[in-house]
Amino acid sequence: MLNPNVPALPPRRDTEPVLVPVMDVTLDRRGLLYGLAFATLLTVAVYFGSQRFHGFDGALAGYCFATVFALFGVVYRYVVWLQRPPTRMYWKRGWQLFWQPGHRLQNLGLFLRAGWEKLIEQRFIRKRSRKRWLAHQLIFWGCIIAIAITFPLTFGWLRFESDFAKPSDYMIVLMGQRLDFFTFPARSALGWLIMHGLNVAAVLCLGGIALVLGRRIRDEAELATQRFDNDIMPLVLLFAVSVTGMMLTASNMFLEGKFYYWITTTHAVTVYLWLLYLPFGKFFHIFQRIANVGVWFYKAAGANGPQARCARCDAEYISQMQQDDLKTILPDLGLDYTHSQVGNWQNLCPSCRRKLLTLNQFRATGKEFM
Amino acid sequence: MSDMRFFVDPIRCIGCKACMQACSECDTHKGKSMIHLEYIERGASTQTAPMVCMHCDLPTCAAVCPADAIKRTEDGVVQSSQAPRCIGCSNCVNACPFGVPRYYPEIDQMLKCDMCYDRTSVGKKPMCASVCPSEALFYGTLEEFQSRRGGTPQNSFQFGEQTITTKVFLVLPDGEIGLDMDVISHMDARFEPDAFDHLDPFAHLEPLPMEQPQTLRGRL
Ligand code: SF4
Ligand code: SF4
Repeated sequence: MLNPNVPALPPRRDTEPVLVPVMDVTLDRRGLLYGLAFATLLTVAVYFGSQRFHGFDGALAGYCFATVFALFGVVYRYVVWLQRPPTRMYWKRGWQLFWQPGHRLQNLGLFLRAGWEKLIEQRFIRKRSRKRWLAHQLIFWGCIIAIAITFPLTFGWLRFESDFAKPSDYMIVLMGQRLDFFTFPARSALGWLIMHGLNVAAVLCLGGIALVLGRRIRDEAELATQRFDNDIMPLVLLFAVSVTGMMLTASNMFLEGKFYYWITTTHAVTVYLWLLYLPFGKFFHIFQRIANVGVWFYKAAGANGPQARCARCDAEYISQMQQDDLKTILPDLGLDYTHSQVGNWQNLCPSCRRKLLTLNQFRATGKEFM
Repeated sequence: MSDMRFFVDPIRCIGCKACMQACSECDTHKGKSMIHLEYIERGASTQTAPMVCMHCDLPTCAAVCPADAIKRTEDGVVQSSQAPRCIGCSNCVNACPFGVPRYYPEIDQMLKCDMCYDRTSVGKKPMCASVCPSEALFYGTLEEFQSRRGGTPQNSFQFGEQTITTKVFLVLPDGEIGLDMDVISHMDARFEPDAFDHLDPFAHLEPLPMEQPQTLRGRL
C-alpha cells in the first residue's frame, strides 16, 4: 500500500472541512411509509384479534390508539436510523452473513446464543457493574411483564372470564378462544399473581428506579454527563406509570374505589406520555440494541476471513471486510481519507496513527529523537 | 470552560506514566486509563508519545458509529460512547484518524477520553494535564500557555485529502498553520525483526485486556 515514489506531501489546501451531512429534519418518506404500514398491520391485527372489536374494551381504546401511534413512531425512527451509512452497512452485512448458504442452522444457533447473552441475560452490563445490572434487569423485566399483559389486554386479544361450571375460577380467553384447559381459582397464589401481574411489574420497576436514581444523584460521572431529557425523563415516566398504576389497585382494595376516576385519568396520561416518548427518547435503545447481535456475527465472520495489515508496521489490526466497509461508508459521510503515500489513511493501524502524530510534530519542528 | 484549552506537546513527553495513573482515577471511566502512551522507536529512542482524544469538530468516530452512541457536547467535547447504545462494533476504534477509541470486549463497549468531563465541565483541569510534570499535556488559557513557552498551538490536521480541526491544540513551531500527516519519512526503524516497537510496554496498566481478533477466530 505504501508508495515510496511519493516522497513529499502535496501542499496543504486551504479548503474548508467537509461537513458531515446531518439527518434531515423533514419527514422521511420511506420512514413514513413503513411506519404507516406497520401501524395499519397492527390495527388490522387488533380488529381480527378482538373478533371484529367484540372482545375490545372501549375503556382501553386510548391505550390502544397510543400504542398504535408508538409503533408508528418506533418504525419511523428505525427506518430513518437504518438509512445512516454505517447502520445500513451493518444491516446489509448482517443479513448477508446470516443467510450464507450452508451456515444457516449454525447461524440460528449463534443468533439464539447471542440473543440470550446480550438481550436477555445482559452479561455485558453485569461485567460493567453488578448494581447497574441488577437495576437494569429489574426495570427490564418490569417493562416486559407490563407490556406482555397490557398490550394484549388493550388490543382485545386477551381477557379473563369466570368459568361457567365453577364461578370462583377464572379462565383465559385468547383471541376469542376460551382456554378452558387452563382455569385457575381467583383466590389462589396463581390467581393473585395473574391479577396483580401489573403490580408486580410496577414493584420491579420501582426497585430498579431506586437503584438507578441512587447512582444518578451520587456518581460524579453521571452528574456531569446526564441530561434531563435523556436520563431523568425516562425514570420520571416509569415512576409515574408504576405509582399511578399501583394506586389504582390501592383505591380498589383499600379505599372502596375512592379517587378511582382521577387515578385512571392520571395513569392513562402517564402511559400515553411513556408511549409517545418510546420512539424518541432513551427507550429507543431497546430497539437499537438488537443490532448488537448482528455485530457479533459481523465480528466472528471478520475474524474468520482475511485480515488487513497496517501499511506502516505490517501488523494485522482489523478484518479486511471491516476495513473495506469503512472505506466505503466514509465518503458517504463526507470524509475523504485518501492519502497519496498510503493509499488511504485508514490503511494504518491505530497504534501507528497515534505515533504518527508525534513523529510528524518532530518532523515539523526539525528535531531528532534523543 | 469557554476560554480554557487543552494543549498537547508530545515532544515534551518523558514517558513517566503519571498521566495514565491519573487518568485511571477519573470518575467518568473509573479504574481505566483512557490515555495512550506509545514508544516511538523502542530500540533507538526513549521518546514516548501520549495520545488523548483530540475532540474533533466533526468527529469521524461519531460519523461512523452505527448506533449513534458518540455525542459531542455544546462545548465541543466528544463524549465516550453512551453505555446503553454502544454495540461494540469498533468502527470508531478503526476509523478515528488519531487512533484514540478503545474497545473493551468484556463489557462489549468502546471507551475513550472525554476530557474528564466530570471535572472540566465544572472548571477543573483534566486529570492527565493536572499531573503532567513536563507540561506535555497542558490545560489552561491561551495567555497562560503563551506566558510559559514558545510555539504556536494549532488545531488543523491534514490526513491526505481530509482536513480535521480539533478542540485540542498541538504545539507546532511558529509559522506553522497546521500539521500535514506524512508517513513515508517515518518508515525507518520499523522492520527490524527484534524491534519491540509494537509491544505495548504499558499493557500492565490496562485493567481490561483487549481482545485480539484471533481469539474470535473459529467461533463461527
Ligand atoms: S480524535 Fe478520534 S475519538 Fe477523538 S473526537 Fe476525533 S475522531 Fe473521535
Ligand atoms: S464501538 Fe460503540 S461507539 Fe464505537 S462505533 Fe461501534 S457502536 Fe459506536
